[in-house]
Amino acid sequence: MTTVERLDNINPLVFEKAENRITTDSDWDDLIYDPFDAREIFDLIRNINDPEHPLSLEELNVVEESKCEVDDSNSDVSVLFTPTIPHCSMASLIGLSIKLQLLRTLPSRFKVTVKITPGTHASEEAVNKQLADKERVAAALENPHLLQVINRCLNPKLRNRS
Amino acid sequence: MLGGFSSGLKLTDLNDFITPSQECIKPVQIPNKNKTKDKGLIEIEGSSLQPEETYEKAKITLNDCLACSGCITSAEVVLVNQQSLEQFSKVLNENSHLSDEDKSVIVLSVSTQSVLSIAARYNLTPQEGLEKIVGYFKSVGVDYVFDVNFARCFSLIEAQKEFAKRYRNSENDSSLVFPLLASSCPGWVCYAEKTHGSFILPYISKTRSPQQVMGSILKDYWSKKLLLKPNKLYHATLMPCFDKKLEASREEFYNSDFDTNEVDCVITSVEVEQLFEKDGIDVNTIPCMPLDTEFSMCQTLLSHDGSGSGGFAHHVFIYAAKHLFDIEEIDLNWKTLRNNDMLELTLEVNGEKVLRFAIANGFRNIQNLVQKIKRNKCPYHYVEIMACPSGCLNGGAQIRPNDGRTSKELVQYLESIYKQLPKITSQNEQRINELYSEWLENDDNDIQQKLYTTYKEITQNVNPLGIKW
Amino acid sequence: MRKQITYFLLSLQQGKNNKMSVTDAAILEGHNDKVWHVAWHPNGKTLASCSSDKTIRIWAKEGEKWVCKTVLDDGHTRTIRSVSWSPCGKYMASASFDATGHENEIKSVAWSSSGSFLATCSRDKSVWVWGVGEDQEYECLSVIPSHTQDVKKVVFHPNENILVSASYDNTINVYKEDYDDDWSVVETLEGHQSTVWSIAFNSRGDRLASCSDDATVRIWQRYLPGNKEGITTKGDNPTWKCVCTLSGLHNRTIYDISWCNLTDDIATACGDDYIRIFREHKNSQGEPIFDLILSVPEAHSEDVNTVSWNPVVPGILASGSDDGTVKIWDFSVLS
Repeated sequence: MTTVERLDNINPLVFEKAENRITTDSDWDDLIYDPFDAREIFDLIRNINDPEHPLSLEELNVVEESKCEVDDSNSDVSVLFTPTIPHCSMASLIGLSIKLQLLRTLPSRFKVTVKITPGTHASEEAVNKQLADKERVAAALENPHLLQVINRCLNPKLRNRS
Repeated sequence: MLGGFSSGLKLTDLNDFITPSQECIKPVQIPNKNKTKDKGLIEIEGSSLQPEETYEKAKITLNDCLACSGCITSAEVVLVNQQSLEQFSKVLNENSHLSDEDKSVIVLSVSTQSVLSIAARYNLTPQEGLEKIVGYFKSVGVDYVFDVNFARCFSLIEAQKEFAKRYRNSENDSSLVFPLLASSCPGWVCYAEKTHGSFILPYISKTRSPQQVMGSILKDYWSKKLLLKPNKLYHATLMPCFDKKLEASREEFYNSDFDTNEVDCVITSVEVEQLFEKDGIDVNTIPCMPLDTEFSMCQTLLSHDGSGSGGFAHHVFIYAAKHLFDIEEIDLNWKTLRNNDMLELTLEVNGEKVLRFAIANGFRNIQNLVQKIKRNKCPYHYVEIMACPSGCLNGGAQIRPNDGRTSKELVQYLESIYKQLPKITSQNEQRINELYSEWLENDDNDIQQKLYTTYKEITQNVNPLGIKW
Repeated sequence: MRKQITYFLLSLQQGKNNKMSVTDAAILEGHNDKVWHVAWHPNGKTLASCSSDKTIRIWAKEGEKWVCKTVLDDGHTRTIRSVSWSPCGKYMASASFDATGHENEIKSVAWSSSGSFLATCSRDKSVWVWGVGEDQEYECLSVIPSHTQDVKKVVFHPNENILVSASYDNTINVYKEDYDDDWSVVETLEGHQSTVWSIAFNSRGDRLASCSDDATVRIWQRYLPGNKEGITTKGDNPTWKCVCTLSGLHNRTIYDISWCNLTDDIATACGDDYIRIFREHKNSQGEPIFDLILSVPEAHSEDVNTVSWNPVVPGILASGSDDGTVKIWDFSVLS
């Protein structure tokens, strides 16, 4: 477990990381269609960094495999994330990072829904509505300052360099 | 409560749904427990699902809000706590319990626009309204009540001089640009600093607004006369607009030597109405008392010629015609342009329009004006700009009609009453001349320091974690 | 109410049977990012589309083939969200996230039927009305901070100086020209449970259709003062009342709605990749009933953002999508 010594006045709880996915022979067989499963969705987002802490969303328990859902045949992906504190001001930014990561990595046929785990944030409804508004998301991703922060979250190596 | 602000300020608020505690981007500092005082600091609380966890509450001052390009109107929460009638009442109450030598002298400066609003609300004549206001505030512990018109004389004199100087010198100095834009409306100034920044600042008149001239007179001149430290003279103003609270909180008007603002508290017309309602005060039972005359024009409620916002364009125009072109007989017929809030007045000499003045009220006209300036298509020399449609008589914190009149009808009524008030015929009244020589020693540096101010560009915050998207 | 819903579901099934093959549509490729909006020139021969790729493309037919005539790529630095032709067809206004005048992203732009006004709306929660100034420049006539959240769409009435806006705050505002050139809200229409994305008048201007993130379409009817139905109105102003809600028919956010001024059919653009077409039930008495007469699944391979009926040729519909394509559909067989 990583220990944290950071300026932030809140010390987040740090959780154990999941084991790597166990691959099976059929995973490598191009002739067999592997539908997307929850674990794959989780793997796409578990290493996203928190905007403030040098920790991954998985380590902060913000994302969990059990809160990732996928319906491959209907091209539906749904992720619930849990902010570390109920009035975390970074909630919409974290949600945006998760959403962008999924939009960038999944085939475009997928409809991606990112929401806050019910009952875990003071502005849950407002943040959910904001994340669901693709026009707001599109405009946000055109903001270079915001995009820079998100890219650092999505690619922790960039952060270390800065 | 947001209604108290002018529309321009409301537009700059992009706080979509996040409460101030969540979106305020001021870096949180670990408070020093032994810090002597937290004057002027307020607490911002967020709703919490976990009441058992208590974190230090973040504290921000109004000045922090002003220096930030973020959520100006979220500063409303701050204002209500820092600059409100409750705050003023608290000061009055505390002061009354102090021993005589510890007591502050408490002054209230009232604006004509507020007096008219309150008088209209309670069916009083303007003079009665004024005397009831004086009577009420004296009964709760205010020592002196003055008339802001007195300070406006200084603002008008300096605005006239500033314009004439710019007009004369502009030929040789390309940094002197036109139009000169009046600056007595803090809503407009705040919008300009935040939205148009360094581009627009050279156009803005540096003359202080009447409120801030009054602050300067009281805290710099009168406190010395009374042998008081400036922070022992508490100065409140009664104004038609919430934006004036922001103006009073600007760091340009803060005296760090004595940790005091030139205007300590701004209360507004609508707050007085709320107070009377809340405390069940019957206006009829308030005794009438006369205005104090040290820093008032006289004991009668007066007004300046020109617009209900103080007549800046009117006075500057007459002065410029006389002193720049030696013309005293002028036609002061303002021509209405696209709407009633966009007026124009010109002076022609030998067929040439040598003076082109405008009054632009309300955000839509400000918008067009700024766009014209940016495209180098603005023909004016001077523009009186007010953020509120119809100007200060329709300030954001004036009392709303409650007798079936529409807002527009009420404003028209206030305008007609304002016009009927006895006029201040000359700024060069004896008392004002006295102050120019005694206080300012007719010295340009002193005048510059005490009757002028500065502006600064508010740059976009680059704290990316604080971006509202 | 239940009966109505069942009926709609039945017609949805019917719609599926009417499934049209994608080859029925002309596919206009060229944009390399999301297409947000399409707008027909008043002559019905030219179409404008705008995109996140920061360009506007102008399309027209060459022989039987739709081709891109022009790419306008120097006007904006960010996503272009909306385009609108002036009624005379000589001018085109575009709205972009790069915002001029507004504090923030501009979401929509619309011309009045007379061509003398232009309206814009923005994330800054305000609606602005512009007029042609003396010097042929657009002058801001009114800034109306009428919504509590960002404003998604502005549309003018087809023949009166009435403006309507739709917002993230779930409401629709109706404005009219005040005295002194100013505009103000005369009525707020509440009912949608989430963001109202788009609105469209019918050709007579006595009905308004709105579509929302709540996956419903609402039809609003105008009642004039002294109407025979006895609906109360305020002063001289007419009032709008919701007379029909189409729910259970869309699976996701409905991003756009278009009401054909020739056939009176309504088309919707939905986040479930469908285009749907509705028609008023012939025998509907009292409150109107709208039938879903056609569903086009996979109309695009991603969200459909915009639909627009051709103003001249009946049954021709243009659509645009996140998939970057514009399509032109011929639904004239329906009539």
